[in-house]
Amino acid sequence: MKEPVGSLVQGTLDMLILKTLALEPMHGYGIGQRIEQISQGVFRVNPGSLFPALRRLERAGWVKASWKATDNNRQAKFYTLTPRGRKALDSETGEWNRQMAAIVRILEAT
Amino acid sequence: MSLWSNLSGGLRTLFGRRAEREMDDELRGYLEASAADKIRAGMNPDEAWHAARVEMGSMETVKDEIRAAGWEAAVAALVRDLRYSLRVLAKAPLFTAVVVLTLALGIGANTAIFSLLDAILLRTLPVEKPEDLVEVTHNSFTNPLWEQVRDRQDVFSGVFAWGDDRFNLSRGGAVDSVTGLWVSGDYFRTLGLRPAAGRLFTTADDHRGCPALAVLSHSFWQERYSGAAAAIGGPISVNGQPFQIVGVSPAGFFGTEPGTRFDVAIPICAAQIFDGPRTRLDQRSWWWLSVVGRLKPGMGWARMKARLAALSPEIYGAAVPQNWDSRSQDNFRKRVLKPEPAATGLSGLRRQYVEPLRVLMAIAALVLLIACANIASLLLARAAARGKEMALRQALGASRLRLVRQLLVESMLLSLAGAALGLLFARWGNLVLVRYLSTLRNKVVLDFSLDLRVLAFTTGVALVTALLFGLAPAFRGTRVSLTSAIKEGNVSHRGPRGHLRLWIVASQVALSLVLLVTAGLLLRSFWKLSTVDIGFDRNQVLLVNANLTKSHLPPELNTAVFERIEEGLRGLPGVISASRSWTSPLAGVEWNTNIVSDVPNPPAGDDALAYFNFVSPSYFETLRTPLVAGRNLNRGDVLTAPAIAVINQTLARRFYPGVNPVGRTFREEGEARKLDPPVEIVGIVRDSKYGSVREDTFPTVFRPLSQMPVSPSTAFEIRTAAPLAAMRPAITAAVAAVNKEIPIEIHTLAAQVDDTMTRERLLAALSAFFGGLALLLAMIGLYGTLSYLVAGRRVEFGIRMALGARSRTILGLVMRDVLALLVGGLAAGLALSLATGRLLGTLLFDLQPRDASTMAMAAAVLAAVSVAASLLAARRATQVDPMVALRHE
Repeated sequence: MKEPVGSLVQGTLDMLILKTLALEPMHGYGIGQRIEQISQGVFRVNPGSLFPALRRLERAGWVKASWKATDNNRQAKFYTLTPRGRKALDSETGEWNRQMAAIVRILEAT
Repeated sequence: MSLWSNLSGGLRTLFGRRAEREMDDELRGYLEASAADKIRAGMNPDEAWHAARVEMGSMETVKDEIRAAGWEAAVAALVRDLRYSLRVLAKAPLFTAVVVLTLALGIGANTAIFSLLDAILLRTLPVEKPEDLVEVTHNSFTNPLWEQVRDRQDVFSGVFAWGDDRFNLSRGGAVDSVTGLWVSGDYFRTLGLRPAAGRLFTTADDHRGCPALAVLSHSFWQERYSGAAAAIGGPISVNGQPFQIVGVSPAGFFGTEPGTRFDVAIPICAAQIFDGPRTRLDQRSWWWLSVVGRLKPGMGWARMKARLAALSPEIYGAAVPQNWDSRSQDNFRKRVLKPEPAATGLSGLRRQYVEPLRVLMAIAALVLLIACANIASLLLARAAARGKEMALRQALGASRLRLVRQLLVESMLLSLAGAALGLLFARWGNLVLVRYLSTLRNKVVLDFSLDLRVLAFTTGVALVTALLFGLAPAFRGTRVSLTSAIKEGNVSHRGPRGHLRLWIVASQVALSLVLLVTAGLLLRSFWKLSTVDIGFDRNQVLLVNANLTKSHLPPELNTAVFERIEEGLRGLPGVISASRSWTSPLAGVEWNTNIVSDVPNPPAGDDALAYFNFVSPSYFETLRTPLVAGRNLNRGDVLTAPAIAVINQTLARRFYPGVNPVGRTFREEGEARKLDPPVEIVGIVRDSKYGSVREDTFPTVFRPLSQMPVSPSTAFEIRTAAPLAAMRPAITAAVAAVNKEIPIEIHTLAAQVDDTMTRERLLAALSAFFGGLALLLAMIGLYGTLSYLVAGRRVEFGIRMALGARSRTILGLVMRDVLALLVGGLAAGLALSLATGRLLGTLLFDLQPRDASTMAMAAAVLAAVSVAASLLAARRATQVDPMVALRHE
């Protein structure tokens, strides 16, 4: 049951995590699932990159973590976006859009 | 916030078990959630769990990656390296001890010199906002000139003047001489100092006719009065006058001149108490004060400088010395006051020692470099021996970078341990250094408390040192071929590693030569200075300085009293000859004036300056300065007899070219340039030094004491056959027999001469010490490297001997390499010496920095010692037993 795993464009994982958390606080597995769902299976995030990224974001003060009960009543570590994280997300998104538009323009130039 | 979350998160991971547990819990939660999802999607539980684990991969790897995302991972790795390094070093105690000790010597020497440099050159004064202090320069100020500055300036929020002096605190008998300060009223306020006890002076204390008040320094108060509060308000005798102690300056404050420490300060206005009506306070050519101001807030440097320049004409104009000729007076009026930063104080020591300290710093750095080379060489040998360990660790998966890092941590540890021990050595070294700097008159007191700058310097040196000696061995040591290392169980000693060590030794030889040449130059320079013909015999002469200022005798009796003392001294058992003079040679006191000789076109202007002393008839006999023409002074040359003088050869040559000066006359330029009556020259004595050993001999006039204006102070010279120390009590008794109240000060002429050579003596002693140390280190390096190389070629030598080579051939084989190395090292060292010798230029006396014979001597010494060390090591090559060597293989 091997599936092709979409690899992320360099440096975008942090932004995707922040974006996911902007919707609601979530635990690690949930973040991975949400990214996979929304990208319709194009991106799959494995725990080996997800958790180090979360640690990085936590240290940067962009997300906060706390232990809470999940829907099926287990304890899990939930990550919440901080105001600084939101600001970082906004600026990264803006930058991303600018670059994206430029790349599209280049690719579509005839 | 981010910094905080980063820091606290990292620390929690480092020191808490909880963070690890949380990480485990989180990952397990992930697995459970993932498996649950899969079961919900229809997998059976076993398959689901398996799939979830496959997706995660190795849990430990994931955890490692999470840990690596924070800074604490690097710290944890460092801690592991530190632990490992400590274990490794503890297992080789001898190696560790040798390296740490070598480094302690090297780093200690550097720290000692740097602390001195720091204390003399860099430390700011322990006062409020020292960076705002500005010295107003005009070599020295007269009191009238200072008063003009004080009253007219508008750039400083406070300005003060001070002069240093020696004060005699005793009421009679032996002099109790302490370091004194004359200070203006605003001195303490401008510096922002608060009294440790009592009160400090204010402007109200500094006015004409002021009461006799004194402020003590904190250290003096502690030493003399044990810090007793009762001392405040009590009496103190300064130069025989009663003063009252009003307070104590704060602890740590030594004045404004690093290197000195004042004991007693009195207001400038108190000069009148000693001087009487013709006080120095009104003298326009008595230069004795320095001036420092504190910049007004908001006043920039440029504006202050411009303002000072603008004020200069009126300030100078109002304080012109009346007795100068009109041209000098005009020049005086045109002078401009210049500001100098004074945050680090004003130091005579600094002017004198800037250059020597730089040279010493360079010398110490070279010694450390040589020590580094030894250690690098030692580490290379060790790296070879640890080849198997390195190969094994690499085989087990350690990256080379990781091994290099660990080896560097080892070096850092060694270096820091050396630095810590070096700091101790340095403290001891500083005490010795200060003793070298001190003279009879100036006891040098420096603040060596450990400041941040010294600590930073030492740490910096330690780190750089560690890199210097550790980097190459670390990289060399980890470049091992895994298979061969593990298979043979021994890593080859030959090859590039040996070459690197030869290079190291060659550079050590080169650096040692530079140090030896430097030491040789400074030693020879000092030798020349101490054996230069000073024109008198310094040995077995005691000097006695006496002062009648407060003996309650009428001044007209001074001469009679002094003459009786001179007679008394002459009569003492063991005394060969005794004399009296206005000043003794090289005492640091000068009396000079222009003279006009009775020849056509006599020297004029600056060339007409002659130096004076006033002596009793037996002066030349006592000092053993021979008369070369004419007659000596004698008892008949009294005040009422014709004015006469004896001159030295230099004066005869310069002022009476081509004529016999005996019988000719000269006239002194008196006040307001009026010529005094002619003085007849009756004799010529050999040249002798007047102010310093280094000087070109000054043209000197010796006139009879009996024809000199009455002076309250005098010097006696006593030549004796007895041990000098034994004479002291007899001398004290002889003076007391005439008058018990006369304060006297006794020291030897030899010490007085030596004191003019402190700088040269310090340089010579230290450079000799460092030169010797460098030589020793280099030889240890040479011997060690050679022994090592010889050991590595044991099998080769064994085979050669088995094939019939004689020991001399083997010896030749080894020595050939050594000679090539020596010649290369010596050549490089000579080139370096030639290139850097310039730096010594002004420090050498009567010697060129490229002095060929010194260089040849240094090279010869180094070559001889090197060959001896090499032979010692190479001899072991010839003692190889062929059978043993071959069997071992």
